[in-house]
Amino acid sequence: MATRQLRYREALREAMIEEMERDPNVFLMGEEVGHYQGAYKVSEGMLEKFGEKRVVDTPIAESGFAGVGVGAAMVGLRPIIEFMTWNFSAVAFDQILNNAAKVRQMSGGQFSCPIVFRGPNASARQVGSQHSHAMEHFYATVPGLKVVAPAFPKDAKGLMKAAIRDDNPVLVMESETLYSVKGDVPDDLSDVVIGKAQIARPGKDVTLIAYSRATHIALDAATELEKVGISAEVVDLRSLRPLDEDTICDSVRRTHRAVVVHEGWPYGGVGAEIVDRIQRLAFDSLEAPVLRVTTLDVGMPYNAKLEQLCMPQKERVVAAVTKVVSRGRA
Amino acid sequence: MAEETLDAGNKAPLTRPSSELTHLADLYRQMFLIRRLEEEAARAYSTGKIGGFLHLYIGQEAVGVGAIAALKKDDYVITTYRDHGIAIAKGMSSRALMAELYGKVTGCSKGLGGSMHMFDKDHHMLGGYGIVGGHIPLAAGVAFASKYRNDGRVTLCFFGEGAVSIGGFHEGLSLAALWKLPIVFICENNEYSMGTPLSRSMSVEDVSMKALGYGVDRDRFFCEDVLEVERRIGEAVLRARETSMPTLVEVRTYRFRGHSMSDPAKYRTQAELDEHKRRDPVHRARTDLVTRGFVEARVAELEASVEAEVVDALKFAEESAEPEAALLAQTTYDGPFAS
Amino acid sequence: MAKILDMPKLSPTMEEGVLAIWHKKEGDVVGVDDLLAEVETDKATMEFRSFDKGALLKILVAPGATVKLGQPVAVIGEPGEDVSALLASIAGAAPAADPPPAKEAAKEGTTAAPVSEEAPKTLAPPPAQPAQAAQAAVPQRPRAPKDALAFLTRTEQLEDDMPVTPVNGAKALASPFVRSRARELGVDLGNIAGTGKHGRVLPEDLAQTRAITVSNAQSGAVGPTQALARATHTLAEPKLVPLSPMRRTIAKRLVQSKQTVPHFYLQIDVRAEALVTLRESINAELAREKPKGDAAPKKISVNDLLVKAVATALVRVPECNAQFSDEGLLYHQRVDISVAVAVPDGLVTPVVRDADKKSVVHIAEEVRDLAARARQKKLKPEEMSDGTFSISNLGMFGIDQFSAVINPPEGAILAVGQVRDEPVVEDGVVKPGKRLALTLSCDHRVIDGAVGASFLAELRALIEHPMRVLTG
Repeated sequence: MATRQLRYREALREAMIEEMERDPNVFLMGEEVGHYQGAYKVSEGMLEKFGEKRVVDTPIAESGFAGVGVGAAMVGLRPIIEFMTWNFSAVAFDQILNNAAKVRQMSGGQFSCPIVFRGPNASARQVGSQHSHAMEHFYATVPGLKVVAPAFPKDAKGLMKAAIRDDNPVLVMESETLYSVKGDVPDDLSDVVIGKAQIARPGKDVTLIAYSRATHIALDAATELEKVGISAEVVDLRSLRPLDEDTICDSVRRTHRAVVVHEGWPYGGVGAEIVDRIQRLAFDSLEAPVLRVTTLDVGMPYNAKLEQLCMPQKERVVAAVTKVVSRGRA
Repeated sequence: MAEETLDAGNKAPLTRPSSELTHLADLYRQMFLIRRLEEEAARAYSTGKIGGFLHLYIGQEAVGVGAIAALKKDDYVITTYRDHGIAIAKGMSSRALMAELYGKVTGCSKGLGGSMHMFDKDHHMLGGYGIVGGHIPLAAGVAFASKYRNDGRVTLCFFGEGAVSIGGFHEGLSLAALWKLPIVFICENNEYSMGTPLSRSMSVEDVSMKALGYGVDRDRFFCEDVLEVERRIGEAVLRARETSMPTLVEVRTYRFRGHSMSDPAKYRTQAELDEHKRRDPVHRARTDLVTRGFVEARVAELEASVEAEVVDALKFAEESAEPEAALLAQTTYDGPFAS
Repeated sequence: MAKILDMPKLSPTMEEGVLAIWHKKEGDVVGVDDLLAEVETDKATMEFRSFDKGALLKILVAPGATVKLGQPVAVIGEPGEDVSALLASIAGAAPAADPPPAKEAAKEGTTAAPVSEEAPKTLAPPPAQPAQAAQAAVPQRPRAPKDALAFLTRTEQLEDDMPVTPVNGAKALASPFVRSRARELGVDLGNIAGTGKHGRVLPEDLAQTRAITVSNAQSGAVGPTQALARATHTLAEPKLVPLSPMRRTIAKRLVQSKQTVPHFYLQIDVRAEALVTLRESINAELAREKPKGDAAPKKISVNDLLVKAVATALVRVPECNAQFSDEGLLYHQRVDISVAVAVPDGLVTPVVRDADKKSVVHIAEEVRDLAARARQKKLKPEEMSDGTFSISNLGMFGIDQFSAVINPPEGAILAVGQVRDEPVVEDGVVKPGKRLALTLSCDHRVIDGAVGASFLAELRALIEHPMRVLTG
């Protein structure tokens, strides 16, 4: 099987192109996806390839085109709806929460909603409070939705393809700061499925649980920790709902300690959910309480230094790990 | 034939084809059925057999029945939470409707949707929605799919005048106009958005004017005659089907009941209500039917069949089983539950 | 006056760019907003337009070069202006990176993002703003939050590791993991001296139970990571068999016994010829009796005789039929002998009630029934509890002699070995004989050495003159 080096954005693009070539019901819709070639160039070249019918530029009307996507999906199309950033999905929240997620149950299973919502999520670089929110926490709480957040190009491609083929609404949380990251992308992506985490780095002393950009932070922290003799295992969730609690808890049962790392805020959210799984399913394996390294509990400031302070950082992960591995030791 | 001989006082042509009378009889039957089903639903609600919200269509039946009469079988319909009449007009069975109200597994949505969420995939009834205006972009999406596939279908999207103030209406109408989608937006203006009269919720009295800003055709009329509704909506449907252009149609109507069962409707006078009841389009249709030669005995027979259908629906709903909890997982996701 | 043009920031996440093509050449006149060059950023090919009016005096970077943000790429100024001093001032600055290999540039195409072999470092903190580049003192790393910010990082704080206030007796400080392991091992954490903070029991402290092997024998102060290593890296990889309820009970009760009961042991070796002879004659007698139906003929074992002998000895030395309690010493009014029976996944101790009052044959029948049902796990709990004294016999396994752990709350247990053929000296003559080793384990809190010894003396007399066993 061949393997190529692709950037994250290229991997996403390839996934969409392959699926659109495979299935004429798949189309891409969003702001600036066509003639502008994508705000972040994810859809670059796709208009030329598929035409205006299947690469549809929209006005600035997230609620409108998100709803158009849901309606089209209900009657058999398979839309990919791009939000220029997930921050803008806030004005389309009703469409995702009340229509996409619920139409299947409200109709007693008569209608399904095979739709993909995608776009960059969480912080970019100094784009200020209203463009830096990590929205996955809101969506992962909704039954009826699936939420994935790949960290590597391989998973970006595999999960995007899986999302398009899924008969449920799937929300793909990308990251502006990952779009340029390169990585190996094999032709065979059969091991990339929605709902399965991966061990991004094996270790023995502590489990770091992360996803999307935070996986890279966790990996950096693990490298740092190795220098002081602490072997950290990094679980890259890939999928936030469904959540692969087996991989999380199996790891914690081996390491007896866990630190969750994610962008987004500490109150509630995916990290709190992970902590719940660990305390419920691996309680007897714990040597220390589970800590969370998240965005600090304030709105994201513009100032570069304060922004970095607020975002989860390798140093804070290392400090948290040091606390849990030395917990209760004289 | 007797029914073709018309009363001399009627302004209508002296003769009508029997097919048109039969058609009117059919529309009257639908309206009468909706009215009777809802009256019985209200009764069941008062005894606790139906829970939650129950928004009745009583008084507005001619809008849904007339509009849907202008459609082909494969065309799509989507509406608000005031959806019982629309669902019946689109072909849903009385049994499926009543059982859904009762929360039974034999209901159209297996008892999981309730009064506000009447879905019937086989009849292309895309459901009732509980968030005001939230379904209007969906309707545009359904029409988008028709255009995408070039399947020749038209989508009818019903909503109240209260929805015209919310973003979903504007974004849906805007996109439908921009992309020239085969859709008819039908604003059922029943004068009150819940308890707020139009005069206190909108800066203009003419809702159809909202079409101007989007450059789409508009129409506006009082709903008195179901056949007139069918004809006027029919024009818009034809426009959608043949030129793939949307239309905004404002149909002036009136609901005889409160916003929902818990609404005493104190914001309007009895005199106002009585005035509207005198112009009840269901009675109007019955009168027209008899006047135009459909003998009383046949009307009575038709009404008796409706009563029998309502009794059957109630019995069916009463006797049906409630949904099992196992249904919840499989109706939340297609495939294994994603926790 | 001439000025240096730096690589501009053309996207929010840009940290470097590839100067794709110059649209002005040296000497060209440049107006505000004129296109100077195209730059490939991490996002797209962007236009680099002039903010100044003047002439392009010097191009510092060749097309294809990767340039960090804020690095000089050109000089602009009045036509003909001397820029040598300005150029000298930047001579010491880091030169632009080399152009990328041509083939890769071709592969990426003109609109592709930069092709630097290093993956773009988008995960690193932002670069210094161009204006700040010279101010090396500006810290780029976030500082650790001060106390004033501690509330913002509370999900990264541990609860204080406080000593546990004893409630209803000593309570050990230990993690869920350690507590779980201790339960599996049947260890009472209250009996372990924890080496952690405030006496916390650490995983390695459980090693004394032998379930965890400690390979790192290094003593003295160890850092957290070394301590951790001892805890987590030294587990062998044995096959894990989950604890059965019986195994849990055995572990719990025997640990409790060995750790809370002060054992001492008394051993005797008795002559057993008479005992064996008696058994044979009784069995010969029983074999002549016609069994009822198809039942097997009755038989007695040496152990059955010993049960009866022990019961009789206990009647004679009642101080040995006793147990310790916090309220005082309990002297039993009954003689209920617990008989250890091996079963497939452990052992149980069914009780022969009032053994002193039952005949040997009766005892034999009862023991056989109890043992059979024990192996089928059909004993009721009350048939295995409230014995007053235990006998454990490993003779059938070829054991000569051993010491048993007291079966709490009983006060003593007799360990019985096999009957051994040994030369004995009788009246100065060596002749074949039989001997039997008996070891009495006593709870010193209730049975002292002298009491145990007198019991064993009675027992020896009974065994060596076994007719007394039959006659009581």
